[in-house]
Amino acid sequence: MKRASCPGPVQAAPGTGVIAAGAPGARTGWRGGVFHTRHIRMIPVGMADERANRIPNAPADRPRRRDIALTASLAILVMAVLTLAGEIEPGVFFAGSLALAGLAAVYYLTALTAAEPSPRPAAAAASRPAEADAPGVMLERLPIPVLLIGPGGRIERANPAARAFLGLGAEGGLLSTALRQPRVLEAVSAALRGERGAAVEYATLAPLESHVRAFIEPIGLNAPGPMPFRAMLVLADDTSSKRAERMRADFLANASHELRTPLASLSGFLETLLGPARDDPEARERFLTIMTEQTERMRRLIDDLLSLSRVEMNEHVAPTGVVELNALVTDVVEVLRLAADRRGITIEVTPAPSPTPVRGDHDQLYEVVENLVENAIKYSPDGAAVTVWVEPSRTRDGAEHMPERITPQSGRLTLTAPPLDPDARFAVVRVRDSGPGIERRYLPRLSERFFRVDGQKSGPAAGTGLGLAIVKHIVSRHRGGFSVESAPGAGTVFSAFFALAPAAPLAAGGAEAEPVKTFAGASAAEPVGNRADAVTKV
Amino acid sequence: MTNQVKAPHIVKAFSEELEQLSADVAAMGGLAESLVSDALEAAATRDGDLAADVVARDVQVDAMQRDIEKKIIRLLALRHPIAQDLRVCIAALKIVSDLERVGDLAKSIARRVPTLNDSDPTAFAASVDRMGKLVLSHMHEVLDAYATGQAARAVAVWERDDDVDEHYNALFRELLRAMRDDPSMIGPGAHLLFIAKNLERIGDHATNIAEVIHYLVTGRELAPERPRAPRPEMHR
Repeated sequence: MKRASCPGPVQAAPGTGVIAAGAPGARTGWRGGVFHTRHIRMIPVGMADERANRIPNAPADRPRRRDIALTASLAILVMAVLTLAGEIEPGVFFAGSLALAGLAAVYYLTALTAAEPSPRPAAAAASRPAEADAPGVMLERLPIPVLLIGPGGRIERANPAARAFLGLGAEGGLLSTALRQPRVLEAVSAALRGERGAAVEYATLAPLESHVRAFIEPIGLNAPGPMPFRAMLVLADDTSSKRAERMRADFLANASHELRTPLASLSGFLETLLGPARDDPEARERFLTIMTEQTERMRRLIDDLLSLSRVEMNEHVAPTGVVELNALVTDVVEVLRLAADRRGITIEVTPAPSPTPVRGDHDQLYEVVENLVENAIKYSPDGAAVTVWVEPSRTRDGAEHMPERITPQSGRLTLTAPPLDPDARFAVVRVRDSGPGIERRYLPRLSERFFRVDGQKSGPAAGTGLGLAIVKHIVSRHRGGFSVESAPGAGTVFSAFFALAPAAPLAAGGAEAEPVKTFAGASAAEPVGNRADAVTKV
Repeated sequence: MTNQVKAPHIVKAFSEELEQLSADVAAMGGLAESLVSDALEAAATRDGDLAADVVARDVQVDAMQRDIEKKIIRLLALRHPIAQDLRVCIAALKIVSDLERVGDLAKSIARRVPTLNDSDPTAFAASVDRMGKLVLSHMHEVLDAYATGQAARAVAVWERDDDVDEHYNALFRELLRAMRDDPSMIGPGAHLLFIAKNLERIGDHATNIAEVIHYLVTGRELAPERPRAPRPEMHR
């Protein structure tokens, strides 16, 4: 924070009683100039001129020429006195003097080189703040958004955290353009009138949910003019704890509700086995098989529920890793090929022509592609084909949907999308199945928890109804997009897209892109084992 | 922040007035947005108090509209703005009236909450909530576009109103079917239909605002008719 940007000859008014606990930091920052002069005055007179022009913070314990000469000559004087008094031999005196003079010479030389004004400490001093700037620098580096609002709601100062949080440009501007929350704006204008500070909570539900606590405090200045008050605004992101609170409640409600059905059927079978079917080996066999399926389903349900809550919990924290999509898609398909083979389904994979690194968390992206391909296999008839492909570098609109519709009447819907940034480019994974397709009116509900299109609820392969909900939340955590296109009878295409990572060096093994890889069902036997071991599901 | 006022005026007060005008419109947008958001939350959590609060706060939106309109008239009379400055004033005038309607629609949603609370929760609450969040994100985007002067972002919202229509149509059909199958659904179903319609209208106002922003930034009008999905009411 440059001192030049300070509001005029500002001084905090002592004893106005309105200065909040948080204010002193800012107060000392503004008086930086005062500190600076006092610092120079503390240096002994005589040295001040010479040293102030050089490095003001040079360490004081470095041996100086004068000190060395003084010490050596004092020692020689003492020895001379001792020699004259007859305490020591003249030979010893000469030898001692010689040694001391030599030692002094050596020190003198080292002091000379060390005291040379080398450029290094000067550079260090430039990157390190002077003591007077420390409060300002602290404010700059504070990871909590802090703003100072002046008369008329103009942003006078904002630390980088605040700029990032509110998406502020370089110059100030008015607070209401950056932060449209009516309660915060009210509290700020109250503070500017010198009224008491306040803590205000606000929430945004869309596009991304966030909960923020804002602390507003008036700061009285004894500056001349009709507007003696500034408002300090501190923002605290409360999203994680609010979410955690709600997730817990949701998880319990969902888990208990959805687990009740399989549990009821289990206890029904157990009762039958203990009662009427006690001595019927055939029925026992059959019931135990169904019970195994039911427990398996419960396990899947719990896995998915846990996975969903984990993703939801972190949804507001964008991932920082880089993942290569071609390799990821190839990995997923190789693992799922076994299941596809069993039903004679062909999976055709077309990676992007060049490596496609995106911002993301590897395990979560794996889960996205796995869920989509698994669904495609599940809803395709035996012997059908599933197509998976990666498209590099699309704009948001280009990523959402394919240029050509699958049929002229197909329904298209974006289930989640990032805010528009004309410069952003995305890599897309599209998965197309040849299943029965989804009716248009069901499209908006696809990513709803436990939603299943009518007629899908039965059968041993029935899903948990959480797969697409998980995909949607992962994608939304990645600030990516997720869309669907479908027409009854023509199959369904799901597209998930993620922001391309800036061209950074790729991790080894991420670049194995061949133009087209076709995994025909027949030739699927050999390489599955290795990959399946290497890639573990989250 | 505001890219709308580019070169400073000779009369500094004029620049400041224009900037203040944009900030006032943004603040009013924030208020309208919070009303929609709170109305939705009241509906989702069946919170009658919050709903009453939304109804009460709609007065503030109306007051802000009158206040901003007065300021614009004063600006027009005193400064005779031309070109970009004139567009800033006209855009503000139009946006403010859209926002006032949004406030009314939010109030109308909130008014239905107590009645809905009298009947059992339905399975459609999630659909309404999802549609509401989509509309809210459109409002948010369009107001961000206004604050930052990004016409492209506004146009993106304008193009995306189809998604809102798609949600509305799906919800409409499902509600009709539910009401046909179960007469006890007719009461809450009718209210949910109105809420969905109100949300759809809020989405339309967001696209109106997007058109105005495009005009404000570029000086040109967007294509006269937005391609829109067929309305279900018109069909059966």
